[in-house]
Amino acid sequence: MLLTHAEAVALALSFKVSLVGVACSLPVAVGCAWLLARTRFFGKPVFEGVLLLPLILPPVVTGYVLLIVFGHHGTIGRWLDAAGLSIAFRWTGAALAAAVMAFPLLVVALRNAFESVDRKLENAAATLGAGPWRIFFGITLPLSARGLVAGLALAFARAFGEFGATITFVSSIPGQTRTLPIALYELISTPGGESGALRLTLVAVVIAVIASLIAALMLLRGGTREVDA
Amino acid sequence: MIELDLALQRGEFSLELSLCSPARALALFGPSGCGKTSTLLAIAGLLRPRRGRIAIDGHALFDADANIDLPPAQRNLGVVFQDARLFPHLSVRDNLRYGMPRAAAGQNFDDVVHLLELSAFLKRKPGQLSGGQIRRVAIGRALLRQPQALLLDEPLANLHREARAEVLEHLRGLKHGFTLSTILVSHQPDEVVALADSVVLIEDGRLAALQSVAAFESSTAASGVPVAANARATG
Amino acid sequence: MRGIPRLAACVIVVAAGALASTLATAAPPTVFAAASLEPALDQMAHDGALGSPAPRLVYAASSALARQIENGAPADLFISADERWMDDAARHGAILASTRTDLLGNALVLIAPSDSTARVELAQGSASLLEALGRDGRLAIALPDSVPAGIYAKQSLTKLGMWNALQPRVAMTRDVRAALNLVVLGQCPLGIVYRSDAVSEPRVKVLATFPAASHKPIVYPVAIVKGHDGAAARALLAALKAGQARGVFRRWDFDVLAH
Repeated sequence: MLLTHAEAVALALSFKVSLVGVACSLPVAVGCAWLLARTRFFGKPVFEGVLLLPLILPPVVTGYVLLIVFGHHGTIGRWLDAAGLSIAFRWTGAALAAAVMAFPLLVVALRNAFESVDRKLENAAATLGAGPWRIFFGITLPLSARGLVAGLALAFARAFGEFGATITFVSSIPGQTRTLPIALYELISTPGGESGALRLTLVAVVIAVIASLIAALMLLRGGTREVDA
Repeated sequence: MIELDLALQRGEFSLELSLCSPARALALFGPSGCGKTSTLLAIAGLLRPRRGRIAIDGHALFDADANIDLPPAQRNLGVVFQDARLFPHLSVRDNLRYGMPRAAAGQNFDDVVHLLELSAFLKRKPGQLSGGQIRRVAIGRALLRQPQALLLDEPLANLHREARAEVLEHLRGLKHGFTLSTILVSHQPDEVVALADSVVLIEDGRLAALQSVAAFESSTAASGVPVAANARATG
Repeated sequence: MRGIPRLAACVIVVAAGALASTLATAAPPTVFAAASLEPALDQMAHDGALGSPAPRLVYAASSALARQIENGAPADLFISADERWMDDAARHGAILASTRTDLLGNALVLIAPSDSTARVELAQGSASLLEALGRDGRLAIALPDSVPAGIYAKQSLTKLGMWNALQPRVAMTRDVRAALNLVVLGQCPLGIVYRSDAVSEPRVKVLATFPAASHKPIVYPVAIVKGHDGAAARALLAALKAGQARGVFRRWDFDVLAH
C-alpha cells in the first residue's frame, strides 16, 4: 500500500506541523499547568476556563479567531507581516492551529501529572535549600514524566487529526497547509478518490492507535510508586 | 540557643508556645496531636505562625514584628521528616548530596557516609532500602546540608525493634560527634532520654513544662511510662 | 440489585431520545443547498416565501451535501451548484429523477476587496491576474477538484491558459462562501466566486467576469431526495419556482431558468 506523491506530501506535512505545534505548545502548557497545580490566585477558574476554550469551541470558530488575529491585517498578523514573519497560508500557520487545538489536552494532562507529585517531597527539597526552579526541574518534572509523555502522545494525536481550525485559518495549500485530514476530506469529496481516502484513513487510524497505546501504558503503570520514604 | 515564641492555628487546633533554651539538644515531648510536629514545621518554614518569633543562635528565622519570614530554602536547617521523604527517582548518593552546599568538601560526605554506614548502598534507589536504612539516609541528607540546626520529627517512629536500635545507635553517635543544635520531636520517652539535653513538655497546644532530661527521666520513670531498658543502660 | 435502576435509567434515556427524534422528523422540511444560495434562501425564508413553518436550510459545498445525502442524510430537497453532483446523487439512487429540474444559472467572477486598485484582464494567456497577486498574495478559490465553484474556476483558468501559473498561488477553501470571506477579510487580494456572491457582499467588488464559454454552463439543479417525497417536499419545490422566490433570486443576480 504505497501512497501517491500528493498523499505522501500531506502525511509528511502533518508530521511536521504536529511535531512543531506540540513542541511550541509544550512550554506554555507546562507553565499554565504548574500555575493551576501549585498556585492560588484570584480569577483562577476564569483562567482555567479560557485555557480550555479550544477544546469546547467549535474548531471552525477557533480557526476564525486565528484568522482575524494572525491573518493578514490581523491584530498580531500585521506586525508579523511587517517583520516578514507572516504565518497566514503557511505551514507555520497550520502548526499554530494544531498547537492551539492540542493545548488544552496538554494542560489537563500536565496538571494532573504535577498534582500527582507529592508536595511533601517538594517541601523537603525546599528545606534542603532548593529554589522553585530547581524543585520544578529536579523533583516535580522527573516525577511527573509518565503523565507528561501520556499528555504529549494525546496532544500529538489531536494535532495530527486537526481539521476544522486549520482549513478555516490557512485553507488548503498543497505542501504548505494541506495536512492529512484536509487531503482526506478532499479525497472523500472527489469521485474516484475512495482508494486514496482509504489509504489515508488507515494511516490516520494507525497513528491514533499508537498514540492511545502510549498514553494508556504511561498512565496505567504511572503514579508514584509506594516507597517507604 | 533556641528561641520559640509562636502562636499557630490549624483548623480548630491552636498552639501557643513561648520558651528560650540554651540547650544544644532540645526535645519537644507530648502525646499525638499536641502540636509538636506543627511546631517543627513552623521552625522549618513550612507553616506560618500567626505571630511571634523563631530564632536559633541569634539568627531570626521568623519575626512577625520585624517582618521577617525566611522561606524554607533560606533557613539553613536540616529537616528529617517522619516519613523520611527521600526522592524516589534519585539514588541514595544523589539524595544525600541534594542539599549539599556547592563548595562542600568531599571529605565531609565520606565522614557522614561512614558514620551512618551508608556506603554499601549508595547506588541503590530508596525503593530498594529497608525502613531503618531509609531513616539513616534521611538523617545523612539533612546533615550534609551543613545546617545551623537539625530538626528531627519522630526519628524512630514506625521502625521495628532492630531498625530502631540501629538508628538510635547512629543518632547517639551523631550526638557525640557533631556540635549541632538539635530539635527533636517525639512521643516516646526513651528517644528523648537518649538524645536530648532539655525537654519541653507540650499538652493540648500549650507549654506544660520545661525541664532537664534528668528531671524528665525520673518523672517518667515515676509515672510508670515505660522507658526502654537498653536506652537506660547505655544513656 | 444495584444494576437494575441504572439499566432502567439508560432505557428511559434511550427511549426519550428516540421519541424526541421522531418528533423532530415531524418538523419542517429540510433543504440541503449549495453554499452560494445562502443569502437568497435565507431572505426567502425570512419573507415567508418558502411556506410555513419555514424549512430548515443546510448550506455546504455541493460535494459534501451530495455525499451526505448518498449516505442517508435526512434532507427532503437537494439543490446543487452543478449538474455533476446531482448526477452523482442520481447515480447512487439518492434522488427522485422525475422531480429533477434546473432551477437557476449563475456567472463566475473575479473579485477583490472593495478598496483594491488592481486591474485584471481575463484574456487568453494574460499574466495580469498573476501580477495582481503581488509577491505573496494568494487567489482564493473553492477546492477545485470537488466544489462546483472551484471546478468552474479551474475550468476557466485552464481555458484561459492561466492555471499552470496560478496553481501554486491558490488558497483552497471548503466552499465558495469561505473563499468570498477570505477576500472580504483582506486575507487574499483576489478570489473567484459566483456573481451572486459578489452581489451579496458590499465589501468586495467585481474586477472581471469569466467568459461563459470558458467553463461548463453554471446550472443549479434541484430534486426531491428519495424516500422524502410528500406534500411538504412538493410544496417546497413549487415555492422555489414561484414568483416570490424568483424575485428574490433575481435580486441576487441569479439567472432564473424558464420552466
